[in-house]
Amino acid sequence: MTEAAAQTLDAATDEPPLPKRSALTDMLGELADLWRVTLDTLFYTFNHKREKGAVITQCYAIGNRSLFFMVVTMGFIGAIVVYQIGIQTARIIPDMSLVGATYVKLLIRDLAASVGAMPLATRVGAGIAAEIGSMVVTEQTDALRMSAADPVDYLVVPRFLASVLMGTSILLIGGAVAYFAGMLICNLSFDVNPYVYMNFSMVTSGDCILGFIKCLVYGGTIALVSSQRGLRTFGGSEGVGRATTEAVVGSLFAIITLNLIMSTIGNFLLPA
Amino acid sequence: MNAALNIPYRMGAALLLIADQTGGIAIMAGQVVRRLVPPRIDRYELFRNAYRMGVQSVPIIAATAGFTGALMVIQGAPIVERYNARNIIGWSAMFTTFRELGPLLIALMFNGRVGANNTAELGTMVVTEQIDGLRALAIDPITYLVVPRYLSIAIMMTALVIIGDFVAILGAMGMAWGILDVWPRQFYYSAMPMLQTWDFSVGVIKGFFYGNMIALTSCYFGLSTRGGAPGVGRSVNASVVAAASGVFIVDYLSTFILH
Amino acid sequence: MTITFRNIHKAFGPKKVLQGVSFTVRDGECFFIVGASGVGKSVLIKHLVGLLRPDDGDIFLDDTEVSRLTEREFYEVRKKCAMVFQSSTLFDSMTCEQNVALPLRKHMGLTMKDALTEARERLSQVHMSHFATAYPAEIGDGMRKRVAIARALTLKPSYVLFDEPTTSLDPVSARRTDVMIRELCDQFGVTSIVVSHDLVSIFGIADRIAMLYQGNVRLLGTREDFKNTDDPVVRQFMSGEAEGPMQV
Repeated sequence: MTEAAAQTLDAATDEPPLPKRSALTDMLGELADLWRVTLDTLFYTFNHKREKGAVITQCYAIGNRSLFFMVVTMGFIGAIVVYQIGIQTARIIPDMSLVGATYVKLLIRDLAASVGAMPLATRVGAGIAAEIGSMVVTEQTDALRMSAADPVDYLVVPRFLASVLMGTSILLIGGAVAYFAGMLICNLSFDVNPYVYMNFSMVTSGDCILGFIKCLVYGGTIALVSSQRGLRTFGGSEGVGRATTEAVVGSLFAIITLNLIMSTIGNFLLPA
Repeated sequence: MNAALNIPYRMGAALLLIADQTGGIAIMAGQVVRRLVPPRIDRYELFRNAYRMGVQSVPIIAATAGFTGALMVIQGAPIVERYNARNIIGWSAMFTTFRELGPLLIALMFNGRVGANNTAELGTMVVTEQIDGLRALAIDPITYLVVPRYLSIAIMMTALVIIGDFVAILGAMGMAWGILDVWPRQFYYSAMPMLQTWDFSVGVIKGFFYGNMIALTSCYFGLSTRGGAPGVGRSVNASVVAAASGVFIVDYLSTFILH
Repeated sequence: MTITFRNIHKAFGPKKVLQGVSFTVRDGECFFIVGASGVGKSVLIKHLVGLLRPDDGDIFLDDTEVSRLTEREFYEVRKKCAMVFQSSTLFDSMTCEQNVALPLRKHMGLTMKDALTEARERLSQVHMSHFATAYPAEIGDGMRKRVAIARALTLKPSYVLFDEPTTSLDPVSARRTDVMIRELCDQFGVTSIVVSHDLVSIFGIADRIAMLYQGNVRLLGTREDFKNTDDPVVRQFMSGEAEGPMQV
């Protein structure tokens, strides 16, 4: 569009011209905002007395109510991954005895945390953003501010703590489910005896540490990204939908990015 | 109610809800199919949605796929180094990415971006009476709104898997070069002879099935929205979770059927 | 060419909204349905175009019983009986002209280009041609209402239902809308049914008025009948007093 045409358009719509924005500055702005929410959350986590029961309520909402979904999902994932490893192995060496050992190493080091975090982010992230977003558009967060309570302290901190705690627990449970689902498939599809399957010889302490760190980080990330999207909701029911969408996409993308970063660093610091 | 009675009661209620939603999605599938023969599709809605849902998702899907390819190399690295089997890294990373993780992660991302957005949009139209507005203009909401969205999501999901697969190769090549000193040329020649066209096709077929699942689920949950702005939030939440579950179930079934 | 409601009953769960409503709307008149909020005025007119179905009773439109038609058969009814919603229900994703063009494309078989030309013509009739390419979110409530009226009139319906056309409008926009509704009746012979509790509109343009109260028609008559009634409930509603026999 030419400069003149742009000016006529501005005049015709009678609106002040929007400040120039690009995808990049938008994204940097969002990241800065996310960083501020993160710092505030950490500050209040260590510096404030919380309402009794708030964290427990959130633990129930984030943990118990996702448990069924995650157990089913991880059961399917475990079965699928073992099956893929099996047919992959069958193409090189027709020896299935090490499938269990390879799988459990991969599961502990990465899959239990990273693949499990994806459905968890979908479930928990959408829930947090929809809940906080609805409170924002119905002006409940403004009411909180008027009663001198910081929404970050009051809404985000309990969700953050609950998500770190329950997210980690659920990912560990999910990992166990995926392991046993794999055992079943190995036995049924490739005739691998469960005793042969249960081979932990390849697992190192580095794998366990890396896997556990990933669980903690993902739990916190999901809560922070989704809360930030929820707090920035505007524009009625459409806005709530948009915030939920962005929370899911943002959490998923954050998990994939962090996974790449942590796995690369882990590859050098905690070698397998 | 005492606690012992409460748990079976809640489990029953949850099962009934799941049955109800599955039935609703199946009915919606039937309604869509009935309107596809003969096809009566609004071209403008189709192109608009295909652009919004497909073309605008390319960057995030490409990033997801590229990272997935790179991750598969990192995860394979310890085993490759232990057996000094650099010449199979290309194949082992691409095999899993093409057949399994690529389509799955792309579907989850697409579900979060497009499926959730679709539910939110239809849900907003329901709570602001725009759907009744359409009906009052004697326009069938399924034909006008759902059919173009269903087609765009199913077709675009398939297309995005194909695009994603190519980006995943690049991501894996880069990572293999970076941490394993496997040159792209070596990577390429190790992967190509062992990969079969079928490995690629399995992923694309899966992508199409996932697309169907996401399309029908998100449209169903959108149109069954009730209760204002919080209702839209609830619908979107339920929709992404249901579509993700559906994707995993479809994945499980198709992995065993298409091996 | 009349619309007749006969003994309409409708309940939402335990809440009985309509309990035997009956009346007839004559050809070419501007008929008002009034009553307190939540009394079931909007519910009643949504029955006429099949957006809701009655639990019991019959609705006749041009001597055809419409309340038991299928959704598909209702499409024919909706083409001659248009509705303007309280919230305008313009489609957010389309500009004003695209909104008006939609029924033209769908029912008169016009191409997008012809439909848009025709739509701009229709918009100029409601003095909205300057905002043809604006999105509904960018214009005010009163303008949205005018676009919604233009859209409802695209198929040249013989009946138009207005659901609270002046609620949430400023007084000037409200009176302009009133004038538009009156012109429809006088110049084009359209039968209008208007749901309202705006007293200025009611006494300004209504031919006949039906007041709903507790699920029934409390009083049906002309403006004069309403001004001269002895019924304390109707008198309280018309004078807008807080104290009185009217039950919420």
